[in-house]
Amino acid sequence: MNDRTSAAPPVLDVRDVTVRFAGLTALDGVSFTVTPGSVHALIGPNGAGKSTCFNVLSGLCRPGSGSVTLGGAELTRLAPHRIAALGVARTFQNIVTTHGTVADNLMLGRHALSRAGFAASALRLPGARREQREHLARAREIAGLTGLGAHFDSPVALLSYGDRKRVELARALCLEPRVLLLDEPVAGMNAAERARTVEVVGEIRAELGLSVVLVEHDMGLVMRLADDVTVLDFGRPIAHGTPDEVRRDPEVLRAYLGTDAPREDAA
Amino acid sequence: MSDRLLGALTRRRTALPLLAVVLCLPPFYLDAFWLRIGLFSMAAAIGAVGLALLSGTAGQLSLGHAFFLAVGAYGYAWFAGEPGPGLPPALAALLAVLLAGAAGGLFSPVAGRVKGIYLGIATLALVFLGHHVLLTADSITGGFNGRSVPPLTLGGFTFGADDGELTVLGVPFGAEERLWYLGLALFAFTWFTARGLLRGRPGRALAALRDSETAAAVMGVDVARHRSAAFVVSSMYAGLAGVLLALAFRRVVPDYFSLALSVDYLAMIVIGGLGSVAGAAAGAVFVTALPLLMTRYADQLPLVTAPGSAEGTVGPTEAARYLYGAAIVLVLLYAPDGLHGLARRARDRVRRRHTRTPGTEPSVPTPPQPAAAARTEEHTP
Repeated sequence: MNDRTSAAPPVLDVRDVTVRFAGLTALDGVSFTVTPGSVHALIGPNGAGKSTCFNVLSGLCRPGSGSVTLGGAELTRLAPHRIAALGVARTFQNIVTTHGTVADNLMLGRHALSRAGFAASALRLPGARREQREHLARAREIAGLTGLGAHFDSPVALLSYGDRKRVELARALCLEPRVLLLDEPVAGMNAAERARTVEVVGEIRAELGLSVVLVEHDMGLVMRLADDVTVLDFGRPIAHGTPDEVRRDPEVLRAYLGTDAPREDAA
Repeated sequence: MSDRLLGALTRRRTALPLLAVVLCLPPFYLDAFWLRIGLFSMAAAIGAVGLALLSGTAGQLSLGHAFFLAVGAYGYAWFAGEPGPGLPPALAALLAVLLAGAAGGLFSPVAGRVKGIYLGIATLALVFLGHHVLLTADSITGGFNGRSVPPLTLGGFTFGADDGELTVLGVPFGAEERLWYLGLALFAFTWFTARGLLRGRPGRALAALRDSETAAAVMGVDVARHRSAAFVVSSMYAGLAGVLLALAFRRVVPDYFSLALSVDYLAMIVIGGLGSVAGAAAGAVFVTALPLLMTRYADQLPLVTAPGSAEGTVGPTEAARYLYGAAIVLVLLYAPDGLHGLARRARDRVRRRHTRTPGTEPSVPTPPQPAAAARTEEHTP
């Protein structure tokens, strides 16, 4: 249905992004590159700027300086809906679903891929109806993929916390994204739900070949899923590398565990 | 027995055609007074559906609905009449609806950017501006006295009385009888298009905007464009309602299109249940018919006096306002999803009983559920 997935996803490149909120520097010269098809984790203590970074990537927050490019497109000047149309989908740390059923939410994810306007929908033109049918079929497929198949027509408000988190993931997938931004996808889930979500992320990555940027506090999950890790602390990037390299980095240990020693090798 | 009947009635496939047939009957059985109530209700329902789309679905408050009703009503009177271009009335009606949409479009720099209750305040200006223009632009609007509205003709058939005698099945068809079917057709069109919008891609995008602007935007919804489009569509429904109102009144006057009218429309969609087409229609009938009925039966109602009697008594119009004020409070307190929500819950209950009864427990006497279902609906005044 969509040719976006057939080609390899483009490179997502973040260069020297700085964001200031009235005196507070939320992001300070952050740079990293997401290699196509990889899982790139963004970790750091609370308040390190991970969510702000996601807001920059999805266009909700405009950086003071720096650039974000996806393939050849500069994202920092685009409105959120244009970035979505380029194939960047995200989930939120605190669940942001709309009223209505799971199907309604997933069909919202198909918005950028469908065309029916006000007139065509109002007059229920055959083209608009066919489009809706096709997208509904694909949404149902994605619901199945994420383990929501049985809940497809249930109101979101009646679902468990873990399932609602999964609705967000499924909705993002409905965009047929080339880059998927996951903001704490397993926060607040129990062990079984976590395992299921990890499985799903692994599956979609293998099946759809998309790049994933992941913010997560669960280090076990990060170590298992991520190919690259960028560590932020107070808005500054303090380490880059594979999970193993990052785990041994003294700077990272300091940021997470704190230390009494003075910072001789401060960056 | 009555159980099965109720179950069948709540099924869409049976209910819709049945409803259509029932709605076609009144001109044969009711007199002009009742038909006029029906006409005003249908016009109000069309306008209310438009407002429900904007306020209920997209979450944008509008106090300017009266302005767009006026644009539709005066637009038709001007396009079709004298002074004015004197176009064929059907074309004039179409142009009046488009004019209302264009007026909404002109307001879209504001409607696309301003959100929720703030848009309500911004649209307040439209009502006052509109009222002022209607009073002062004498040559177009006829000033304080308004102007008369030419009847609609469609392919040689006139929806008015001055077309010679017409008798259908022994019933003389005057203006009200003919307009009834026009109103029905326009309302059916509104129903069809509004449901299509709500269930399609635009409706989902608008509902998402209402629930979370952020989620909608990152899912690819162009926020400003959809906000202004919702405003334009709502204005067009208001324009259509204005045309039908003008035809039913046969004269348009500026004082009708005041802020109170906008508030009436808000009352309709709140009583009916925000964001539902059927609810908006039900609310429109309630708010429109109540004062007319109370005026008619003022002498038989306790505590209500005939209009124009001594001071210190409650006239039927005031009494109707008290009643629908009370209705709003009751709805907000006990049924925040309005008449539509009450009806849906009642229907679900009937359906559950209906699907449970066959086969499973043949000897167990079923509880008197039709009464229970009726009681839920009774809750609304």
